[in-house]
Amino acid sequence: MDHPLLMKLASLSVISQCKLQSILALCGDKKDLIIDTSLIKPLERICGVSWLRQHGIDKIYKMDPQLSTTANVNRVYFIPACIQKYRCILDQISSMLSLNSSLADLKCFHIIITPKVLNSYESILESRGLYDIVKLHSFAWELMALDEQLLSLELPFLYKQLFVEQNQSLLSSVAMSLWSLFHVTGKPNAMFSVGKLSASVLDMLEVYNETYNRDSFGSNANYEIGALILIDRNQDYPASLLTPATYSGLLSEIFDINCGHLDLNVKETKYKKGKLDFGLEEKKAVEKNTVMTLDSSIDNLYGEIKHRHFSEVLSVLSSKAKLLKNEDIKALGIQEMKHYVATKLQQVTIYKQNLVNHVLACETIISEMRNKFENLMSTENDMLNNRNKKSNFNFVDEYFGTNIHIYNSLRLMCLLSLTQGLSYEEYNTLVSKYLLAFGYKFLYVFNNLVNAGLLIQPSSVKLSLNISTLGNLSDRLPKWQSGFQATANKLKQLPSQPEKNVLLKLSALNDFKIGGSIAGILKDGMETLNEKLSNMKLQSDLEFGCKDAKSLAKVVKSDPNFGKVFPIKPKSILVYVVGGVNYAEIAACDVIQKTTGSKIYIASDCVMNGGDLIFANT
Amino acid sequence: MDEDDYWNSSETKSQAFSFDDDVLSPQEILAIGQKPSSGHKDDNIFASASVSSTKTLLPLHSLISPKVLNLILLAQSGKDLTKEVKVDSEQTVAVTLKRLVLGRRCSLHVHRSLKCKTELLDGAIAIGDGNAILTVVLFLIQTLNKKLVYELLSSRTVALNHYISFLQNEGKITELTDLLTMLGRSPEAAMYQFQHCVKSQGSNVDGLLRKLTNLMANHLNQPGGDTHHAKMVADYVKLLEWQKFANKQELFNRSALYCLAYCCSHHWSDTAGNMMSPMTVCQRQQIPPLQYDWVVLNVHAKSEKWDIVETLFTKKDWLGRTTVSSHIPIETLLARLSELQASKRLMATCVNKITSAEDRLRLAQMYKIEPVVIETLAKQKDRIALTNYKMTLSPQSEVFILAENTLRDTSIKWKN
Repeated sequence: MDHPLLMKLASLSVISQCKLQSILALCGDKKDLIIDTSLIKPLERICGVSWLRQHGIDKIYKMDPQLSTTANVNRVYFIPACIQKYRCILDQISSMLSLNSSLADLKCFHIIITPKVLNSYESILESRGLYDIVKLHSFAWELMALDEQLLSLELPFLYKQLFVEQNQSLLSSVAMSLWSLFHVTGKPNAMFSVGKLSASVLDMLEVYNETYNRDSFGSNANYEIGALILIDRNQDYPASLLTPATYSGLLSEIFDINCGHLDLNVKETKYKKGKLDFGLEEKKAVEKNTVMTLDSSIDNLYGEIKHRHFSEVLSVLSSKAKLLKNEDIKALGIQEMKHYVATKLQQVTIYKQNLVNHVLACETIISEMRNKFENLMSTENDMLNNRNKKSNFNFVDEYFGTNIHIYNSLRLMCLLSLTQGLSYEEYNTLVSKYLLAFGYKFLYVFNNLVNAGLLIQPSSVKLSLNISTLGNLSDRLPKWQSGFQATANKLKQLPSQPEKNVLLKLSALNDFKIGGSIAGILKDGMETLNEKLSNMKLQSDLEFGCKDAKSLAKVVKSDPNFGKVFPIKPKSILVYVVGGVNYAEIAACDVIQKTTGSKIYIASDCVMNGGDLIFANT
Repeated sequence: MDEDDYWNSSETKSQAFSFDDDVLSPQEILAIGQKPSSGHKDDNIFASASVSSTKTLLPLHSLISPKVLNLILLAQSGKDLTKEVKVDSEQTVAVTLKRLVLGRRCSLHVHRSLKCKTELLDGAIAIGDGNAILTVVLFLIQTLNKKLVYELLSSRTVALNHYISFLQNEGKITELTDLLTMLGRSPEAAMYQFQHCVKSQGSNVDGLLRKLTNLMANHLNQPGGDTHHAKMVADYVKLLEWQKFANKQELFNRSALYCLAYCCSHHWSDTAGNMMSPMTVCQRQQIPPLQYDWVVLNVHAKSEKWDIVETLFTKKDWLGRTTVSSHIPIETLLARLSELQASKRLMATCVNKITSAEDRLRLAQMYKIEPVVIETLAKQKDRIALTNYKMTLSPQSEVFILAENTLRDTSIKWKN
């Protein structure tokens, strides 16, 4: 059991494989797999085609409502827990049964739902008269190691459910993923939660622990993670809304990244796709693009540049290219040449490929962002520091009037709303412009953004004067400081004296302060860790760190002896963001782990940026 | 240096995307790395090389013991541990809740008293498992009358949200509206109806018109509704009516700006007052001048009708000079013109509009509008800067000669 932790984390897919195997074993001997396209990439991380064949899968089809006959009678559908997709399959099965009622007795229909089958799904099955004809299976795959120290459940629909619809039906999957993980890593001594959902996750984790493992953790008790910090995405939206400045952050702004695989589409970038459609562009056929795997253990060049400020990246790539150029193969003798071909040639070829791909990605980033980047950065900076409110609004207003982008424009509006606030008139001006550009049908999106807490809807002055009594008049007066600013100041996230701030000097990471609450909280945590301060101090820091006194850091019952928690040992922390982590935060954690000499592992249900958050609200 | 000063200083700004001289250009790096080549292309449903097969993984037994694996599989399936069946047979609220959270089969129907039902609901909310919460809410709906359920939900936001989400997903909009109206949240109900309506009608203009008109009458124009929402939906209806008139399939349920762009390219010369004239759409939908200018610029520039662009965005002043007049702020306009590959002349006219010599110089240099750079430097009487600039121009080109002549101009009193 002495394998390095990174190795173990990368091997979690072996457990996922066993889980899938146990399900497939229940689905008959020879069967067809009908898979929802969104699950192909994640499934590739768990098993390959040959493995599926070994476990009875004969043919594989993409899910399609029109799909008619397949090779085998036994059908195994594989979909995410999405009610529309589920219904679509039930429709398909019903129509098959109406053509051939004898199928009903064969028990040949199976639906694998990831991450779990909800009770309402069983009810729907029953109400459709398909109970016992169709069998439902939960498949809760393990966290996937996308990169070194980066784990993800790759359930991109979770944010929408949890925060936009405020439906926590799949929240237990987060608890389940942690529960499994701790069997491999050992259970951390200290567990903190920031936010309501995170607190619930810890409660559910407790239920699993009580039920299943009164003794099973004991066996491999080399605890490899000292503490767990769980945090709800809505505790720090600005960190996601800001434009990142790191290489990996910008990659996610421009390219589609799915399950750690980047689609190097240099023509149709995410920026271009979100722009106004004037009906003039011809629709191009979908091309197959180069796929880059964003995993430092496969591509160590990526590992060197991923967290760097973008302005440094091309010079790093250039120096690597020079090294390659200087490697003179002609000077080698025959034996040396043989050795080179046998051992290094393939490596060098792959390395060159990666180099080329990164340069192409950089070029695309530059050409897409050249004109906007600096103005955007300085405006965002002003928003964070609560400066130049009027000109910030004008910037956003002009953006909405001209170069409007379907997701990024809203993202900037949300950032302004959360940091400096919008008046009733300003709010409506932006809403009107957006609806003119993309269609009035998007009116509901603003409602969703408000529900998700990304946008604050101002009440009209007229209305508020009617309602307000003298008592709460002060609440309605414009505040010079938003909730965000108050939090940020308490956590000292906006550095006022940079010369004292080691972190800023360490890296040109403009995002660091942006790294937001998470970084702030971690920083506090780490300081405490180093200075061995009394635990109560940290506790109160964390409480202040949360937006209200409502959401508190919470030490799990399992460790009633508070004093033993600090200093955290071993010096490694797992940070789990419920509702999606972004690359800037990952980079910020990397800075912290370097300055504190610790290890920070990041986990989440998905890696997503600000644009993805807004997309989830549409 | 203060963080902000750092980012705003001209040095950092101008260098943010430029690199040392010693650094290879992207093209040079590409040349070393040779042609761009793809990692793997997925011609089949599955990529040929899956990640799991390219990495060496640890065997299962070095991760977890067989016993633990069994627990993990059991937890996923939601089946009972065999030894627990008897222990849990008594159906207390606590036992039921635990079974719900673990995803095990359980019947809620043993809980018949209102007290038990309330405890179940509160217990599920306390744990925070949405699956359990919704299961209990649906059980309450089945076994209690609506008034009682609504009463319970009205003071329990989390449970209420789960029910709302459920009704929305089920498309039970009438029930959702009843629920929210009863709770005094009618404006929200209107928004859910709106969302359902646009998502279910697609681009069926007639259906949308019918539903939206109803929505306006029954909800949005009622007192207490959001006036801006009401206006937006009214504008939506206006646009749909226009689309119905235009009767072009490709315009159905498209945005106002999309329709405007269509009119600009197909009906540019239609007289004002004509339904298809761009001005009609602009006035009808109250498109702000900035957005109007932006669409017009893009549509005509993309179809290479630069004459239209020029007549629209430039005018002669009383001295006979051409100046730019547009609602688009000049820097944005320049950036866009450059992307659209406008002529140098148009760009120069644009840059000349900028009064601050410093900004003019910066932008003229950025977009390589040499005559403006030369003229501005001459106006600043900065011989050294102009001499340096001349060196960057290709010798004997038109602009190079212009720079030389300017430097020789005896009427300029150079400051250096």
